[in-house]
Amino acid sequence: MWTRTVEVMLGCWLLVTPFVFRGTEAIGNYTANAVVSGALIIIASTLSFWHPLRLAHLLTLLVALWLAAHGYFSAERPGPPAAQNEITVGLTLLLFAILPSESNKVPVPWRGSRESGRG
Amino acid sequence: MGRPVAAEGTHNDAAPPWDYNPSAWSQRIPICVLAMVAFFIATYMALYQWRLIDSVWDPVFGCAATQCVLDSDVSHRMKRWFGIPDAALGAVAYLGDAVFGLAGSTERWRYRPWLVVLFGIDVIPLGGVSAILVFIQTTVLGEWCFLCLVTAVISLILVYWAYDEVWASLLFLRRVWRRSRSARVLWTVFRGGYHPVADAVAREH
Repeated sequence: MWTRTVEVMLGCWLLVTPFVFRGTEAIGNYTANAVVSGALIIIASTLSFWHPLRLAHLLTLLVALWLAAHGYFSAERPGPPAAQNEITVGLTLLLFAILPSESNKVPVPWRGSRESGRG
Repeated sequence: MGRPVAAEGTHNDAAPPWDYNPSAWSQRIPICVLAMVAFFIATYMALYQWRLIDSVWDPVFGCAATQCVLDSDVSHRMKRWFGIPDAALGAVAYLGDAVFGLAGSTERWRYRPWLVVLFGIDVIPLGGVSAILVFIQTTVLGEWCFLCLVTAVISLILVYWAYDEVWASLLFLRRVWRRSRSARVLWTVFRGGYHPVADAVAREH
């Protein structure tokens, strides 16, 4: 579940982004997106800890794609600091969000075979 | 498909064609450590390209040469293409090497081939292209950048260290394909699903 923990941390970073980039060019165009995306990521990644909702982190994957695309297309490149932040955070989130929650264990479908094989 | 059934033989840790397990932690941790070193170096250079720091340390060619490379036309053009500095993109790629290197069990070469292939795509083609770009940039500009060269060399070492696991995973998938001749079975196994054919192949060495 370390991947979900990192996602929550990146979600927190997005929540404070408006304060970090306060006063930079066109920050007003990115504030709402950063806060909403950060909140969604924190909620989705936290819900993933509950087994019935273990796939909720896939929402984080969508938010990551949205962030990277919004940062890329919202301004002429290279965009303002807030846009570059969205691209960087979006790409970083993709690395983690694509991984399953129990990525360090043998996949569930294989566990029975593995145990029986080892006798 | 149903639950896996017991079969004769046991799962061996060695991954053909190798006589060792390339997914073992002893194989993967050095890759992750080296990738993190490259990540920090690339992040440091990205901080300069973002002008969050004033200069870049270079004990061999001097700060001016390194800054000439990081501020070159090629670098600015890449920033317009990608939307972020090329060093930041490199940092994300190196972080990916470390993250994909850490994820997965010590038997991921056969149980999560998709993850090993993703790891391979991040390390091998991207690492190779990144190393070639650094060398071309250096040749074209005529200026040398010590930290760029360090990251390029690290990329090549990572390729050398990572290819055995990727190769083992691809060979496993090829054996599953030859045995089943079914794209559905291959896809199931690729994405980490169970299939008796793959189970039999996994026990065969």
